[in-house]
Amino acid sequence: MKVEKVEFDPISRIIGHINAISVGVKQAIKPERITVEYPRERRKLPDNFRGLILFEKDRCISCFRCAFICPANAIQMELYDNYYPSIDYSKCILCHFCVDSCPTTALKQTKIHDVAFRDLEEMVVHTDEMINPPELVREDTVTVEYKINRELILERKKEVENLIVEVKPVERIEYHSACINPQNCIGCALCASVCPADAISVEINEKKVLSIDINKCTGCGLCVRECPTNTLGLVKR
Amino acid sequence: MLGISEIFEMFKNNMVNIPLIQPIIDALMNIPLVNYVVALVLWKPFFAIAILPGLGGIMLVLLLMVYWERKLTARIQWRVGPLEVFRPLRGLIQPMADGFRYFFQEVIVHVDAHRPYFVQLPILTFIPVLLPILFIPAGEIVAIRSPYAIQIIVALIALIPITIIGIGWASNSRFAYIGSVREAMMYFAYEVPFVIAVLAMILMYGSGDPYVIVEKQSVPGIIMNPIAFLVFFIATLMATSRLPFEIPEADQEIAFGPFVEYSGILFGIVMTLAYEKLYIMCLLMSILFFGGWSGFAIPLLGDLSPVIWLFVKAVVVMLIVALTRSIYPRFRLDQALRMGWTSMLAVSLVSLAVALAIRLSGWLG
Repeated sequence: MKVEKVEFDPISRIIGHINAISVGVKQAIKPERITVEYPRERRKLPDNFRGLILFEKDRCISCFRCAFICPANAIQMELYDNYYPSIDYSKCILCHFCVDSCPTTALKQTKIHDVAFRDLEEMVVHTDEMINPPELVREDTVTVEYKINRELILERKKEVENLIVEVKPVERIEYHSACINPQNCIGCALCASVCPADAISVEINEKKVLSIDINKCTGCGLCVRECPTNTLGLVKR
Repeated sequence: MLGISEIFEMFKNNMVNIPLIQPIIDALMNIPLVNYVVALVLWKPFFAIAILPGLGGIMLVLLLMVYWERKLTARIQWRVGPLEVFRPLRGLIQPMADGFRYFFQEVIVHVDAHRPYFVQLPILTFIPVLLPILFIPAGEIVAIRSPYAIQIIVALIALIPITIIGIGWASNSRFAYIGSVREAMMYFAYEVPFVIAVLAMILMYGSGDPYVIVEKQSVPGIIMNPIAFLVFFIATLMATSRLPFEIPEADQEIAFGPFVEYSGILFGIVMTLAYEKLYIMCLLMSILFFGGWSGFAIPLLGDLSPVIWLFVKAVVVMLIVALTRSIYPRFRLDQALRMGWTSMLAVSLVSLAVALAIRLSGWLG
C-alpha cells in the first residue's frame, strides 16, 4: 500500500491556528491550573482521608482485629498492661482497614500525610508514640478546596485547617463471651490462653469447668475465634 | 584640533531635553567634572546608543523578556513558573538572579574547542547586534542619521547568523555542528522573504529614511500592507529562533545547538543573543509597520517621549511574539525550508506587488 501525502485545506488550517491562539490567550489571561503551592497552601482534605493513624488507649479492647486484617502485616500487637497495636510505616500502605475494622474507634484517621522519618527503625511507631499526634511545622495560611461542578474550581480561603479529625466513639452493642454449646467443650484451654483480659479460666478435674468472668470480659471475641469446637459465642449484655 | 572645551560645547549644544528632570540637570551642570559626564550621557548620539533605545533598553528588555516568556509559558501550560526568587513580586528578579549565577559560574573551554574563536566570538557577536542601533532613530535622538538607515539595519542584522555559525564551528562538538548547520539552513529560509518584505515597505514609502517612513504613516504600515507584515513577522520568528522555528537551538533534540558547549558568563552572553536580535527586529518592525515613534507627545518628557513610544511599541510586539512559544510545536528543518522557499517567498512577492500598487496609486505622495 502506498502512503499518500496528507492534504489539508487552507481554511481548516487557518481555523486551527485561530483555535490554538485563542486557547493560548485564554489560558494566559485566566489559567485553569490546579497547582496548590503546597507548603504555604494546603488542599482541604475530606475527614475520611487516609493519613497517619492515631490511637486512643482507653477505647481499645485488645481484640487484635487490626492486626489480623492488616494486608501488609504492618501492625504488631505490643504488650503493655494489655495488648495494643504498633504500626510499622515502612510496611503500612495506608489502606485504613485497621481503622475500619476497629470496633471501638480506638484507631483514628487523621489528615496528616507529610511525615518524615529519619531511618527505618524510627518508622516502627510504637503504641505510646501513636497516642499523641506528631510534631507539625505548619507554613500554610491558605486552604484550597477543590470544588467539582462539571468543571474543577479552586476555592482559596484564608484559614488553617485542623489536621486532627475528631472521631466520636461509636455507640456499639456490648457483648460478652459465653458458653453457648457447653457439650462441645474438649477442655483444650485455648480460649483461656488467648484471652487478653484474663477473663476465662479452665479447670480440668473430673469435670471440665470453663468459667467466664463477665465483668472482665471486653467482648473482643478472640476466644470465639480460637475455639475449635464452636463452644463459645458472643451474647449481648 | 578639538579641545576639551570645544567637545564639551558640542555635547552641550546637542543634549536631550527632559523638562521633568531639567532642574537636576542644571544643578549637575554647575559641578565641575560631573558636568562633563552629564553632558556626555545626555548627548543625543550617546544617549541613543547607551541608554534608550540602545544598551539600557536592551538590558531592560532582556530582564523583562526572560521573565515574561517563562511566566507566560508557565501560565498557558498550567504551571506557576519562576516564583521563589523574591516571592512578594512572584519571582520578578529571577532573570537577574540567573545573570548573577552566570557571572560566578566557571567558564569551561573544552579541549577540542578552537580556543581563541570559542572565547572571542560570543563577544564579537555584539558588533552586528549593536551596530543597527546606531541607525535606529527615535525622534530627535539618533546616533547616525542616514537616508539608507533601513537598508543598513537589514544588512547588519544579516551578519548575526554568521557569528552564530562561527560559534558552532569553534565549539567543535556534534550538537554544535548540527546546530550551526541548521542555523545556516534557517538563514537561507528566511533571509530572502525578509529582505523582500522590507524592500516592499521601502518601495511603498519611497525611501529608506526612517524619518520619511514615520512621517508617511498617517495610517500604520500594517494596515496599508498587512501581507508584508505577515512575512516580516514570520521571518522575525525564524530569525530569532522563536518556537515554531526554534530549529537551530532545539533544546530537546540538540541541547541548545551551537551554544551547547558554553557555560558561565559566555553562555549568558550567547543565550541573550536571540533576545537582542528580537529587540532590534521589533524596533525595525515598529518603525516599518506601527508608525515608529509617532504618538501623542508627553510634554514633561520632552525629547524622551518619542523614544518611549518607540520602546513601548517594540516591547509590546516582543511580548506578543513570546506567546508563540507556548502555542506552537517545532517545525522540522525541511518543513521550515520548504515554507521559506515556497509560501513565504510567494507571499513576499505578493506584498511587493501590493506595495507597488500603493506606490503607483500615489496615495503616499
